[in-house]
Amino acid sequence: MGADDTYARLLEGRSGIGKMKYLKSKHTDFPVGEVPFSDDELRDILFIKKDASITRTSLLGATALREALASAGLFPRDKSWKLALVSGITVGGMEKSEQYYYDFLHTRKRDEYIALHDCGACTDMIGQAYPFGFDMLTTISTACSSAANAIILGANMLKMNRTDIVVVGGTECLSKFHFDGFNSLMILDTKPCRPFDKNRNGLTLGEGAAYLVMEREETARQRGISPLCQLSGYGNRCDAYHQTASSPDGEGAYQSMMEALAMAGLQPSDIDYINAHGTGTPNNDESEGHAMMRVFGDQMPPVSSTKSYTGHTTSAAGGVEAAISILALIRGFIPANLNFSEKIDSLNFTPVTEVKQGVELHHILTNSFAFGGNDSSCIFSKIS
Amino acid sequence: MSIYIQSVSHISIQKPLSEEWMESPVVPDSSFMKSQEPDYKLFISPMEARRMGTLVKRALATSLDTLRKGGCEMPDAIISGTGLGCVEHTEKFLNTLIDNDEECLPPTSFMQSTHNTISSQIALRLKCHGYNSTYSHCGTSFDSALFDAFLQLSLGKIRTALVGAHDEMTPDYFLMLSKLDFWKTHFYDLEQLRRGEESVSISGSCSLSRRLSAEKQESTLCELKDMEMFYRPGILQSQHAINDILLRNNLSIKDIDAVVMGLSGDRDNDDVYYELRDRAFKNTPVLWYKQMFGESFGASSFGVYVGAECLRAGRIPQHLFFFPEEAEKFQKEPRNILVYNHFHDKDHSIILLTK
Repeated sequence: MGADDTYARLLEGRSGIGKMKYLKSKHTDFPVGEVPFSDDELRDILFIKKDASITRTSLLGATALREALASAGLFPRDKSWKLALVSGITVGGMEKSEQYYYDFLHTRKRDEYIALHDCGACTDMIGQAYPFGFDMLTTISTACSSAANAIILGANMLKMNRTDIVVVGGTECLSKFHFDGFNSLMILDTKPCRPFDKNRNGLTLGEGAAYLVMEREETARQRGISPLCQLSGYGNRCDAYHQTASSPDGEGAYQSMMEALAMAGLQPSDIDYINAHGTGTPNNDESEGHAMMRVFGDQMPPVSSTKSYTGHTTSAAGGVEAAISILALIRGFIPANLNFSEKIDSLNFTPVTEVKQGVELHHILTNSFAFGGNDSSCIFSKIS
Repeated sequence: MSIYIQSVSHISIQKPLSEEWMESPVVPDSSFMKSQEPDYKLFISPMEARRMGTLVKRALATSLDTLRKGGCEMPDAIISGTGLGCVEHTEKFLNTLIDNDEECLPPTSFMQSTHNTISSQIALRLKCHGYNSTYSHCGTSFDSALFDAFLQLSLGKIRTALVGAHDEMTPDYFLMLSKLDFWKTHFYDLEQLRRGEESVSISGSCSLSRRLSAEKQESTLCELKDMEMFYRPGILQSQHAINDILLRNNLSIKDIDAVVMGLSGDRDNDDVYYELRDRAFKNTPVLWYKQMFGESFGASSFGVYVGAECLRAGRIPQHLFFFPEEAEKFQKEPRNILVYNHFHDKDHSIILLTK
């Protein structure tokens, strides 16, 4: 947990994927990427009372949010700046709803969790956990690209001067609902996920939360904050191919990467590292790989999927991977893609298998794709 | 950059895909009102329809209808707001998960359960590779979707957008929310309600699609001049926000011909509007719409629709006035209408519509 811990683990090649501890599924043979804190421990960290009703999604979100706000000088904050929160959430309070569903319908014991079930309610709880208040909240729910789309909305709000500072990202905890859902689609691997490996056999579900604080350059200057990097481009395109599968040529992915490059005014050769969506499902990695080959040809920059460390954190993934990309950019390293052994026949590249330190990175592209073909890409650049 | 509302189509308690509510609205007679379904064969083959959930079917019908009205084949962006997502499929998957103890689960229900199923099914049908997103933020899900489109149209990133509000209400979810006093389930009496004697509200479901574009057309309903969203403002901040939006657009409160409010008959919800009326809109006629379209997570979309349709028609039907005495006095052709929405006094929005 936290930027420094994440950095240390990425350098050591220590994955957070392991045996199920908090998720109460009977299918314990599947590994998961859990946040190693119980709800009660997270309550303690946040100074939230033991008996207060709050979903795990909100607990994870509030914990990440606090770190992000503190590191951006917003804990406490100067009320003269407008501050908005855009959070990506999909499964929301389901982890509690699936436990209490009988009570929801037949008793009055767990009524308080009915109101906390929906995505917006989870964002609201996260907002409430911040004592200095937000001026606007909203929630994006595009499944596994939710957090990336939160970054995009936040950036558009800043461009239109609709806020001074915006906190963007996402949060999601594991639930039986989506764990069993992915399992019913037969896209979970019984081994830790193996992104871009020939013998990959599905994804590993994870949980987590990550937020970025974004503001215009002049706001940062006036607040006396030195920004970590610049969001130089972003794209959102729809694959429009199938509800859950990606197209063989990765049309949506191709278009979203091209849109991000065009907006940043960059050539494909300017990209120094790609933090891929790379879930480890046969379909995604092949489709994304082909889309990347269409963009980068035979000049493929170093590629890795850090889902081999975190698991697929669904709605949070775009935030978690943006945070890892920014760490890589400012600390000069390329994280490895764990569990890789053999190249996919139809692709012209292999992922980075050993962490590379002391590298000078200028532009990093990160992909977030989702069910429904909701494909988004963001480019983070060093401030010149 | 001017932004126009080009066409709107809805499926609701009122006659579907129609503006008949302007003349003769259906008066709800129960606190749990079902939507009237259109003839889906006009939009979706029966084969396809069988595989689809109710909400997706409705969303496709309103989307295709609203695009057809304006002669637009391919929007640049598809953006939906849905407070609860595809509840029908979510419940089906959840119930099976519990009953079968995590075994033999229906993958189709899971695939159809995510909130973004709606926008992506529309994109799939249109083969639209453009911007695609979904907002799920309680009673301002639609407002958020509209805000996204508004920003992107203003920035010139897109020229057209299909913006929808889609929410369904199942008997189980209705029951659960009733336990929270989410709606008051007494018998519904409009007159008593207006006199503030009773606390009642009706639950609706909604599916409404509207097309926004940067070009004015013959069919244009009105201009979406400006909008703002804010959180837990308190009355003073709300007043500031109203003043700001008026100032920004060179208007004064006198230029606002009517304010559309999300009054529902539930005092917990309505008190915010009464206070606003007293402080900010003392001499501005108040219109309401939840008596016709019900309360739902997407209800605010009907507020914008009602305002836009009145601007297009150049008149305000009497039954939209919350205070009957204001209806009698009102003679003019409306030019500027404000739509004010809040959800549980947390998320608020103001939307300015102009002829």
